[in-house]
Amino acid sequence: MSGIDAVKRIVETEAKARKIVEDAKTRAQEVLQKAARDVEAARQAILDQAQRQRDEVLSRAKIEAEAEAGKSDSDTEQTLAGYQKAFQARKDEAVDRAVQLIVRG
Amino acid sequence: MSESFEKLQNRILSDAKVKAEDILHEAEEKASKMLEDARQKARKDADAVGAKARFDAEALRRSILSAKVRANRLRLLDEKNRIVRSIVSGAEERLSAIAQSPGFMDTVKKMASEAVDAIGTDQATVRVGFEGTKGKELNSLGPALPRGAKLVVEDSPIDELGGVIASDLDGKVVFNNSFRARMDRMDSQLLSLISSTVFGE
Repeated sequence: MSGIDAVKRIVETEAKARKIVEDAKTRAQEVLQKAARDVEAARQAILDQAQRQRDEVLSRAKIEAEAEAGKSDSDTEQTLAGYQKAFQARKDEAVDRAVQLIVRG
Repeated sequence: MSESFEKLQNRILSDAKVKAEDILHEAEEKASKMLEDARQKARKDADAVGAKARFDAEALRRSILSAKVRANRLRLLDEKNRIVRSIVSGAEERLSAIAQSPGFMDTVKKMASEAVDAIGTDQATVRVGFEGTKGKELNSLGPALPRGAKLVVEDSPIDELGGVIASDLDGKVVFNNSFRARMDRMDSQLLSLISSTVFGE
Protein backbone atom coordinates (compact mmCIF):
# COMPACT_ATOMS: atom_id res chain seq x y z
CA MET A 1 0.00 0.00 0.00
CA SER A 2 1.33 3.37 -0.97
CA GLY A 3 1.62 6.18 1.51
CA ILE A 4 -1.13 8.11 -0.28
CA ASP A 5 -3.48 5.12 -0.08
CA ALA A 6 -2.75 4.78 3.62
CA VAL A 7 -3.57 8.42 4.30
CA LYS A 8 -6.73 8.08 2.23
CA ARG A 9 -7.81 5.01 4.23
CA ILE A 10 -7.14 6.81 7.52
CA VAL A 11 -9.19 9.82 6.39
CA GLU A 12 -12.07 7.48 5.45
CA THR A 13 -11.85 5.67 8.77
CA GLU A 14 -11.90 8.94 10.71
CA ALA A 15 -14.93 10.02 8.73
CA LYS A 16 -16.64 6.76 9.72
CA ALA A 17 -15.67 7.38 13.32
CA ARG A 18 -17.07 10.93 13.22
CA LYS A 19 -20.30 9.58 11.79
CA ILE A 20 -20.57 7.03 14.58
CA VAL A 21 -20.21 9.83 17.15
CA GLU A 22 -22.61 12.16 15.30
CA ASP A 23 -25.21 9.38 15.08
CA ALA A 24 -24.83 8.80 18.80
CA LYS A 25 -25.35 12.52 19.46
CA THR A 26 -28.49 12.50 17.34
CA ARG A 27 -29.82 9.46 19.20
CA ALA A 28 -28.96 11.09 22.53
CA GLN A 29 -30.90 14.16 21.47
CA GLU A 30 -33.89 11.95 20.62
CA VAL A 31 -33.60 10.21 24.00
CA LEU A 32 -33.72 13.61 25.76
CA GLN A 33 -36.64 14.82 23.63
CA LYS A 34 -38.58 11.67 24.45
CA ALA A 35 -37.70 12.13 28.13
CA ALA A 36 -39.13 15.66 28.05
CA ARG A 37 -42.41 14.28 26.65
CA ASP A 38 -42.42 11.45 29.23
CA VAL A 39 -41.84 13.95 32.02
CA GLU A 40 -44.93 15.94 31.07
CA ALA A 41 -47.02 12.78 30.66
CA ALA A 42 -45.87 11.38 34.03
CA ARG A 43 -46.55 14.69 35.78
CA GLN A 44 -49.98 14.96 34.20
CA ALA A 45 -50.85 11.37 35.16
CA ILE A 46 -49.91 11.97 38.80
CA LEU A 47 -51.82 15.26 38.95
CA ASP A 48 -54.86 13.76 37.20
CA GLN A 49 -54.90 11.00 39.78
CA ALA A 50 -54.64 13.59 42.58
CA GLN A 51 -57.53 15.52 41.05
CA ARG A 52 -59.65 12.35 40.87
CA GLN A 53 -58.86 11.64 44.52
CA ARG A 54 -59.77 15.22 45.43
CA ASP A 55 -63.14 14.90 43.67
CA GLU A 56 -63.72 11.61 45.46
CA VAL A 57 -62.82 13.05 48.88
CA LEU A 58 -65.17 16.01 48.36
CA SER A 59 -67.96 13.85 47.06
CA ARG A 60 -67.62 11.44 49.99
CA ALA A 61 -67.54 14.34 52.47
CA LYS A 62 -70.74 15.72 50.93
CA ILE A 63 -72.51 12.36 51.13
CA GLU A 64 -71.40 11.80 54.74
CA ALA A 65 -72.37 15.32 55.77
CA GLU A 66 -75.79 14.93 54.17
CA ALA A 67 -76.25 11.65 56.04
CA GLU A 68 -75.33 13.40 59.30
CA ALA A 69 -77.67 16.23 58.38
CA GLY A 70 -80.41 13.64 57.88
CA LYS A 71 -79.77 12.44 61.42
CA SER A 72 -80.11 16.02 62.64
CA ASP A 73 -83.48 16.14 60.82
CA SER A 74 -84.73 12.99 62.51
CA ASP A 75 -83.48 14.21 65.92
CA THR A 76 -85.34 17.45 65.31
CA GLU A 77 -88.53 15.60 64.35
CA GLN A 78 -88.26 13.66 67.60
CA THR A 79 -87.75 16.83 69.62
CA LEU A 80 -90.71 18.49 67.88
CA ALA A 81 -92.87 15.47 68.73
CA GLY A 82 -91.67 15.80 72.33
CA TYR A 83 -92.67 19.48 72.36
CA GLN A 84 -96.14 18.60 71.09
CA LYS A 85 -96.52 15.92 73.74
CA ALA A 86 -95.38 18.31 76.48
CA PHE A 87 -97.70 21.00 75.14
CA GLN A 88 -100.73 18.71 75.18
CA ALA A 89 -99.89 17.41 78.67
CA ARG A 90 -99.10 20.77 80.31
CA LYS A 91 -101.10 23.29 78.31
CA ASP A 92 -103.82 23.78 80.95
CA GLU A 93 -101.34 23.99 83.79
CA ALA A 94 -99.28 26.55 81.86
CA VAL A 95 -102.35 28.68 81.13
CA ASP A 96 -103.35 28.51 84.83
CA ARG A 97 -99.92 29.56 85.99
CA ALA A 98 -99.70 32.34 83.41
CA VAL A 99 -103.07 33.74 84.47
CA GLN A 100 -102.06 33.55 88.13
CA LEU A 101 -98.86 35.43 87.40
CA ILE A 102 -100.62 38.15 85.41
CA VAL A 103 -103.38 38.58 87.97
CA ARG A 104 -101.32 38.29 91.14
CA GLY A 105 -98.00 39.57 89.91
CA MET B 1 3.15 -2.42 8.27
CA SER B 2 -0.19 -3.57 6.90
CA GLU B 3 -1.10 -5.23 10.21
CA SER B 4 -0.36 -2.21 12.33
CA PHE B 5 -2.25 0.00 9.87
CA GLU B 6 -5.29 -2.15 10.27
CA LYS B 7 -4.95 -1.98 14.04
CA LEU B 8 -4.85 1.79 13.82
CA GLN B 9 -8.07 1.82 11.81
CA ASN B 10 -9.76 -0.51 14.27
CA ARG B 11 -8.60 1.62 17.15
CA ILE B 12 -10.06 4.77 15.59
CA LEU B 13 -13.42 3.03 15.08
CA SER B 14 -13.33 1.42 18.48
CA ASP B 15 -12.68 4.78 20.20
CA ALA B 16 -15.54 6.30 18.26
CA LYS B 17 -17.89 3.51 19.39
CA VAL B 18 -16.85 3.94 23.01
CA LYS B 19 -17.46 7.67 22.77
CA ALA B 20 -20.83 7.04 21.12
CA GLU B 21 -21.82 4.65 23.91
CA ASP B 22 -20.77 7.21 26.50
CA ILE B 23 -22.85 9.90 24.82
CA LEU B 24 -25.92 7.63 24.74
CA HIS B 25 -25.37 6.42 28.28
CA GLU B 26 -25.08 9.97 29.53
CA ALA B 27 -28.28 10.97 27.70
CA GLU B 28 -30.17 7.99 29.14
CA GLU B 29 -29.02 8.79 32.65
CA LYS B 30 -30.00 12.40 32.20
CA ALA B 31 -33.42 11.35 30.86
CA SER B 32 -33.93 8.99 33.74
CA LYS B 33 -33.07 11.70 36.27
CA MET B 34 -35.36 14.20 34.54
CA LEU B 35 -38.21 11.72 34.80
CA GLU B 36 -37.53 10.88 38.43
CA ASP B 37 -37.23 14.57 39.41
CA ALA B 38 -40.47 15.36 37.60
CA ARG B 39 -42.26 12.48 39.32
CA GLN B 40 -41.03 13.61 42.72
CA LYS B 41 -42.18 17.16 42.11
CA ALA B 42 -45.53 15.98 40.77
CA ARG B 43 -46.01 13.73 43.84
CA LYS B 44 -45.27 16.72 46.05
CA ASP B 45 -47.82 18.82 44.14
CA ALA B 46 -50.29 15.92 44.34
CA ASP B 47 -49.76 15.74 48.11
CA ALA B 48 -50.57 19.45 48.32
CA VAL B 49 -53.73 18.86 46.24
CA GLY B 50 -54.66 16.02 48.61
CA ALA B 51 -54.10 18.13 51.72
CA LYS B 52 -56.19 20.96 50.29
CA ALA B 53 -58.89 18.46 49.31
CA ARG B 54 -59.09 17.19 52.90
CA PHE B 55 -59.27 20.77 54.18
CA ASP B 56 -61.98 21.66 51.64
CA ALA B 57 -63.88 18.47 52.47
CA GLU B 58 -63.94 19.38 56.16
CA ALA B 59 -65.09 22.90 55.30
CA LEU B 60 -67.82 21.47 53.05
CA ARG B 61 -68.92 19.04 55.76
CA ARG B 62 -69.09 21.83 58.36
CA SER B 63 -70.95 24.08 55.97
CA ILE B 64 -73.60 21.45 55.16
CA LEU B 65 -73.99 20.46 58.81
CA SER B 66 -74.07 23.97 60.20
CA ALA B 67 -76.68 25.02 57.64
CA LYS B 68 -78.81 22.03 58.61
CA VAL B 69 -78.28 22.48 62.35
CA ARG B 70 -79.14 26.18 61.99
CA ALA B 71 -82.30 25.37 60.05
CA ASN B 72 -83.34 22.74 62.61
CA ARG B 73 -82.65 25.08 65.53
CA LEU B 74 -84.91 27.61 63.85
CA ARG B 75 -87.63 24.98 63.43
CA LEU B 76 -87.39 24.14 67.15
CA LEU B 77 -87.47 27.80 68.13
CA ASP B 78 -90.46 28.43 65.83
CA GLU B 79 -92.31 25.53 67.37
CA LYS B 80 -91.54 26.69 70.91
CA ASN B 81 -92.68 30.20 70.02
CA ARG B 82 -95.87 28.80 68.49
CA ILE B 83 -96.58 26.80 71.65
CA VAL B 84 -95.81 29.75 73.95
CA ARG B 85 -98.02 32.04 71.82
CA SER B 86 -100.78 29.48 71.98
CA ILE B 87 -100.57 29.42 75.79
CA VAL B 88 -100.47 33.20 75.97
CA SER B 89 -103.62 33.23 73.79
CA GLY B 90 -105.22 30.74 76.18
CA ALA B 91 -104.31 32.99 79.12
CA GLU B 92 -105.74 36.01 77.29
CA GLU B 93 -109.01 34.16 76.72
CA ARG B 94 -109.19 33.31 80.41
CA LEU B 95 -108.43 36.91 81.38
CA SER B 96 -111.17 38.18 79.04
CA ALA B 97 -113.64 36.00 80.89
CA ILE B 98 -112.30 36.74 84.36
CA ALA B 99 -115.44 38.62 85.32
CA GLN B 100 -117.16 35.25 85.57
CA SER B 101 -114.64 33.90 88.07
CA PRO B 102 -115.43 33.79 91.80
CA GLY B 103 -112.67 36.09 93.07
CA PHE B 104 -113.19 38.72 90.38
CA MET B 105 -114.04 41.68 92.58
CA ASP B 106 -111.09 40.98 94.87
CA THR B 107 -108.85 41.00 91.80
CA VAL B 108 -110.27 44.31 90.59
CA LYS B 109 -109.82 45.86 94.04
CA LYS B 110 -106.23 44.71 94.16
CA MET B 111 -105.51 46.06 90.68
CA ALA B 112 -107.15 49.39 91.50
CA SER B 113 -105.27 49.67 94.78
CA GLU B 114 -101.93 48.98 93.04
CA ALA B 115 -102.69 51.61 90.39
CA VAL B 116 -103.66 54.28 92.93
CA ASP B 117 -100.56 53.49 95.01
CA ALA B 118 -98.42 53.79 91.88
CA ILE B 119 -99.53 57.32 91.01
CA GLY B 120 -98.99 58.38 94.63
CA THR B 121 -102.12 60.46 95.27
CA ASP B 122 -105.59 59.79 96.61
CA GLN B 123 -107.01 62.43 94.25
CA ALA B 124 -107.11 59.94 91.43
CA THR B 125 -109.36 59.02 88.57
CA VAL B 126 -109.71 55.27 88.38
CA ARG B 127 -111.05 53.83 85.13
CA VAL B 128 -112.12 50.21 85.13
CA GLY B 129 -113.40 48.09 82.28
CA PHE B 130 -113.82 44.34 81.86
CA GLU B 131 -115.63 42.10 79.45
CA GLY B 132 -118.99 40.78 80.62
CA THR B 133 -119.47 42.93 83.71
CA LYS B 134 -122.41 44.99 84.68
CA GLY B 135 -121.85 48.57 85.77
CA LYS B 136 -123.42 47.83 89.10
CA GLU B 137 -120.84 45.20 89.94
CA LEU B 138 -117.95 47.49 89.17
CA ASN B 139 -119.60 50.42 90.89
CA SER B 140 -119.31 48.45 94.10
CA LEU B 141 -115.59 49.12 93.82
CA GLY B 142 -116.16 52.79 94.80
CA PRO B 143 -116.10 52.34 98.58
CA ALA B 144 -112.84 50.45 98.32
CA LEU B 145 -111.07 53.44 96.72
CA PRO B 146 -109.50 56.33 98.65
CA ARG B 147 -111.93 59.01 99.67
CA GLY B 148 -110.88 61.57 97.01
CA ALA B 149 -110.77 59.12 94.14
CA LYS B 150 -113.21 59.15 91.24
CA LEU B 151 -114.38 55.89 89.71
CA VAL B 152 -115.14 55.68 85.99
CA VAL B 153 -116.66 52.43 84.76
CA GLU B 154 -115.95 51.87 81.08
CA ASP B 155 -118.45 50.10 78.82
CA SER B 156 -115.77 48.06 77.12
CA PRO B 157 -112.75 46.21 78.45
CA ILE B 158 -109.65 48.35 78.86
CA ASP B 159 -106.87 47.35 76.43
CA GLU B 160 -109.14 44.58 75.09
CA LEU B 161 -108.53 42.18 77.97
CA GLY B 162 -109.78 44.40 80.75
CA GLY B 163 -108.13 46.15 83.65
CA VAL B 164 -107.70 49.37 85.55
CA ILE B 165 -106.03 52.68 84.69
CA ALA B 166 -105.39 55.28 87.38
CA SER B 167 -104.37 58.87 86.73
CA ASP B 168 -103.95 62.02 88.80
CA LEU B 169 -106.44 64.84 88.41
CA ASP B 170 -104.44 66.53 85.63
CA GLY B 171 -104.00 63.29 83.80
CA LYS B 172 -100.24 63.86 83.82
CA VAL B 173 -99.40 60.83 85.89
CA VAL B 174 -100.99 57.68 84.59
CA PHE B 175 -100.53 54.10 85.69
CA ASN B 176 -101.93 51.51 83.36
CA ASN B 177 -102.76 48.37 85.29
CA SER B 178 -104.70 46.62 82.54
CA PHE B 179 -104.04 42.94 81.98
CA ARG B 180 -102.33 43.82 78.69
CA ALA B 181 -100.04 46.33 80.43
CA ARG B 182 -99.28 43.82 83.19
CA MET B 183 -98.44 41.21 80.56
CA ASP B 184 -96.09 43.66 78.87
CA ARG B 185 -94.39 44.47 82.16
CA MET B 186 -94.01 40.82 83.06
CA ASP B 187 -93.15 39.72 79.55
CA SER B 188 -89.87 37.92 80.23
CA GLN B 189 -91.11 36.48 83.54
CA LEU B 190 -94.25 35.24 81.79
CA LEU B 191 -92.34 33.63 78.95
CA SER B 192 -89.92 31.86 81.27
CA LEU B 193 -92.80 30.65 83.46
CA ILE B 194 -94.59 29.19 80.42
CA SER B 195 -91.37 27.74 79.07
CA SER B 196 -90.42 26.11 82.36
CA THR B 197 -93.94 24.72 82.82
CA VAL B 198 -94.19 23.22 79.33
CA PHE B 199 -90.60 22.38 78.48
CA GLY B 200 -89.15 22.04 81.97
CA GLU B 201 -86.46 24.61 81.20
